[in-house]
Amino acid sequence: MVASRLNALLNACLPVLFAALVFGFAWEAAVAFGEVPQYVLPSPTGIIAAAVQRFPQLADGLWLTTFEALSGFAVGAAIGLALACLFLLMPPLEALLLPLVVALNTVPSIAFVPLALLWFGMGPASKIAIAALAVSFAVLLAALEGFTRTEDGQVNLLRSFGAGRLAILWRLRLPAAMPSIVTGLRIGLARSTIAVIVAEMLGAYKGIGQIVYRGTAEMDSLTVWAAILLSSAVSLALYGLLVQIDRRLVWWQ
Amino acid sequence: MKRHLTLAHPATALLIVGLAWLVLVPLLGVPPRYLPPLGRVAADAAAVWPELLASFLRTLAEAVLGFLAGAALGIACGMAFAGSRVLERSVLPFFVALQSVPVIAFGAVVVIWFGNSLLSKVVIALYLSFFPVAVSTLRGLQAVDGNRVALFRSFGATRTQIFWRLALPTALPSIFTGLKLAVSLSLIGAIVGEWFGDTVGLGVMLLQALYFEQVERIWVLIVVCGLLGTLLYGLLAVIERKYVWWRPA
Repeated sequence: MVASRLNALLNACLPVLFAALVFGFAWEAAVAFGEVPQYVLPSPTGIIAAAVQRFPQLADGLWLTTFEALSGFAVGAAIGLALACLFLLMPPLEALLLPLVVALNTVPSIAFVPLALLWFGMGPASKIAIAALAVSFAVLLAALEGFTRTEDGQVNLLRSFGAGRLAILWRLRLPAAMPSIVTGLRIGLARSTIAVIVAEMLGAYKGIGQIVYRGTAEMDSLTVWAAILLSSAVSLALYGLLVQIDRRLVWWQ
Repeated sequence: MKRHLTLAHPATALLIVGLAWLVLVPLLGVPPRYLPPLGRVAADAAAVWPELLASFLRTLAEAVLGFLAGAALGIACGMAFAGSRVLERSVLPFFVALQSVPVIAFGAVVVIWFGNSLLSKVVIALYLSFFPVAVSTLRGLQAVDGNRVALFRSFGATRTQIFWRLALPTALPSIFTGLKLAVSLSLIGAIVGEWFGDTVGLGVMLLQALYFEQVERIWVLIVVCGLLGTLLYGLLAVIERKYVWWRPA
């Protein structure tokens, strides 16, 4: 059992590892033999060395960025889900607020970054707000889409057994919408990290976005690449975590 | 349900939101720091009209060029993945992984490479829009039913015929899902790319408005960005409805 799972894991990982090695080797060789200047493209070993060397400084920014992204994600997901349930239970509210949601959703969330900075200041609050905004739309629209997947017959069946609206929401509509909601969460997680990093580029005291922005201004490409490398590793880990949660939440698929 | 759908139509939504803005802001006494009255925002838009139009066109050009290049490259890559099992198993995981990575950080690197030109924004927009298209193209092509391929083959269809008559039509709805995701990403890429330094563009105007704390100007730009996003998305949706009217089987 364990052996076969290990085998499957190896089977999936080996081609990827191989491709990564080939790619990294070609990159290293191209930089070494092409005599590419460091500000254009640092070598992979150089980037890894820089990431190790500047780890305390980068980890400090990374910690804050991850905290902001996760807080924003949690707040946004809660707001999105709550709004979706409210809309479902109170159709007049949906009729009133859905146009606002649709209109706001057409604006790229990063256009709200200056506003968030003016309202909430340069600290973490503005980043959490932007991430929450980006996530809540993704989750709200995904949940609304998911709620439409319940069939009327199923609703009528539960109702004939005397289930109230809340019971139908909890027992039938939410589980039925779960796959769609989880997709929304996954899109939202990716969006929240992007939103936080972009907001940090525009104005922040600390954080990976600020490190990248400053590195660009100072033409310090090693720091920029090292920051990208570390933040990519963290987002990948978060994404993996979410996939695992997805399997637990939607075990019936 | 029907009633909600008409209400959810972007044009109706914009009208309702505009009316609410016009009426509710003076009525509730919202401080201008949060949301200035619609009249003042409109006046500000009129005051900077030429600059606004130039920026709109510039950002539109960046986003559209980047989107078109990214879409072409993404579809080509998706087809390559669908065609080669080795490529799919070794490189595709990177694509999926890179989608969850804050790719926008690479924007800085792109600006280092290409300078503060139109090209660097196009490349950022291309880079952002490329991944979703590639992955959705692959998913679409993989959804082709093996029995139908066998049927086509038994009638003597060649590989090209199978691709044009069967695989592509099956994959198109999925490809369009990726394209719609990509078009909003390319707009984000164009705007953020301008932050690294430029003179014209909606991103530049956003940055300036932030530095001078002009709340009216920020709201003008939010509305314009929303219009641009709606325009791009709507155009794609119209094309989809006209040419891809069938649903995946």
